[in-house]
Amino acid sequence: MAEKRRSGGTSGMSESKPTKTDTEREFLSQAGVGELLRGALLKMVEARSEDPMGFLADHFCNQASEAENGTGGCCSDGDLLNLGAGAHEQQQLSRALWHLRLAHHSQRSAFSNNVRVAYDLLTQTGPQRRGAVGPSGPAGQCSSNSPGGGVRGRLYTHTLQCLCSEGGVPVSTSAPLLRRLHCQDHEAVPYDIFRHGVLTCAVFSDYIRRAQRLYAEVCGPAEGPAGRTLCLAVLGTLHEALETSRSNEAKVSRYLEASAKISPGKLAQAMAGAEPAGGNMDAKEFEDAAAELFIARVRVVC
Amino acid sequence: HLSRYAKRSTRVGLSVNTVPCTVKPTVTLQIGDAETDSSRPGVYVIDVTLPIGQTVNIQEISFKNYYTAYVSVRLLRRDGEGAAKWTTCLRNHCLMPSPHTEEGSQDYCSVYRQQMLIEPDNVTSVRLILRQPSSAWLNFSVEDIKIHPCLNEDSEWDIPDWLSDLTQVDQLCDLQGLPDPQTVSSSIQQMWALTEVMQTNQTTASIGRFDVDGCYDINLLSFT
Repeated sequence: MAEKRRSGGTSGMSESKPTKTDTEREFLSQAGVGELLRGALLKMVEARSEDPMGFLADHFCNQASEAENGTGGCCSDGDLLNLGAGAHEQQQLSRALWHLRLAHHSQRSAFSNNVRVAYDLLTQTGPQRRGAVGPSGPAGQCSSNSPGGGVRGRLYTHTLQCLCSEGGVPVSTSAPLLRRLHCQDHEAVPYDIFRHGVLTCAVFSDYIRRAQRLYAEVCGPAEGPAGRTLCLAVLGTLHEALETSRSNEAKVSRYLEASAKISPGKLAQAMAGAEPAGGNMDAKEFEDAAAELFIARVRVVC
Repeated sequence: HLSRYAKRSTRVGLSVNTVPCTVKPTVTLQIGDAETDSSRPGVYVIDVTLPIGQTVNIQEISFKNYYTAYVSVRLLRRDGEGAAKWTTCLRNHCLMPSPHTEEGSQDYCSVYRQQMLIEPDNVTSVRLILRQPSSAWLNFSVEDIKIHPCLNEDSEWDIPDWLSDLTQVDQLCDLQGLPDPQTVSSSIQQMWALTEVMQTNQTTASIGRFDVDGCYDINLLSFT
């Protein structure tokens, strides 16, 4: 800040005092404003929301309540118990989901960071059973390790359910997937499994949306449902490609071979070869069949 | 003697693998007594031998010429029964179109398997017979003799079936009433890619359950 600039609201002050700018600068650095704004801007760049004002408002709101509850969780047990564990959990869950929504799973590093933040948030829920921590100062943070060493199983399942439904996946379609990713309510879910579950659900939502779009394409301009054999032929090519690229070594040649199976030429061939007779397949059945291809390849959590 | 211009030509891309061999000192072929006769010889013989017991299937013999006009090559081959036999594989191969002039006098030369009169297989010894009828040159020889063996041919890379099986969309004409293959293929490709993303990001971490199908093994329960 140049010495010449006059700060607003201090009309009575003389400009000649050299200590004024130092006070302002000190004030800002003490309050940590630079860090706050920097953090906000970084998050904004990652999320690229369409509503920057709303995004920033949400962001600062979250930060404020996180800072509150972070210390509040271990200092004032009284407050926490009044709030009720359920409501508190709900709050943490919605905050964690907000973080997970910020970046698309294809933005690998941003998404991973957000998963980490969400995980840390969710491990802090619940009143601290160890009462040894007294009221700490404003800068204090309560220990991030919950007694169990992970996210409570029930909360984890709840997170995955919300992710799927927010992604536009009907409950019946996501149910088999959640069974594979299921953890018992009482279990402590470690970070790796939490991340695996979250990523799988995010990818699955994209997958199902694509499958829905594909059904519309297969139906074509006609309003009615698509032919059964046609649908099966199309899904069959996907199945073949997945089988081909199945090997764990991820060799490039297998990927090339698999991709050759779903080239436009091969699709045209498969579709032309489908017999016209054989009834119709509705959207739900198509979606379930497509989901089955995906879910069959999800590793069961054990 | 005529002045010589050193030719420094670079060899790029010739086979580098050579067989280790011994080049014996040049032997002069002359009429009459070697010590008393003062005329310069017109024929030299150089023998190149492989270590004892080794044979080679020759792909190429390379050397650097030094004013040799003609070269003949003879090979000592071991036949099926183990007997060794000398045969000529190259007869009076011309290195200098005109023996009196410089052309070709310092060239790098190669004699290939395909040029030879016989199959140069199971060779134990190579004899180079050098001739220079012109009296213009004080000396002549060949240098830097290398014998290059045949490389094992790599088995033909199997062309995968799917490569030859690629179909073009335009080839298929009867697409009436069917959805556009390009858009359908694009969607399928995205779904495939998403599934692959999920698969490659699977974790091998375990949550660490001790129960099997909801039941605990009795040995895992401690006596407290």
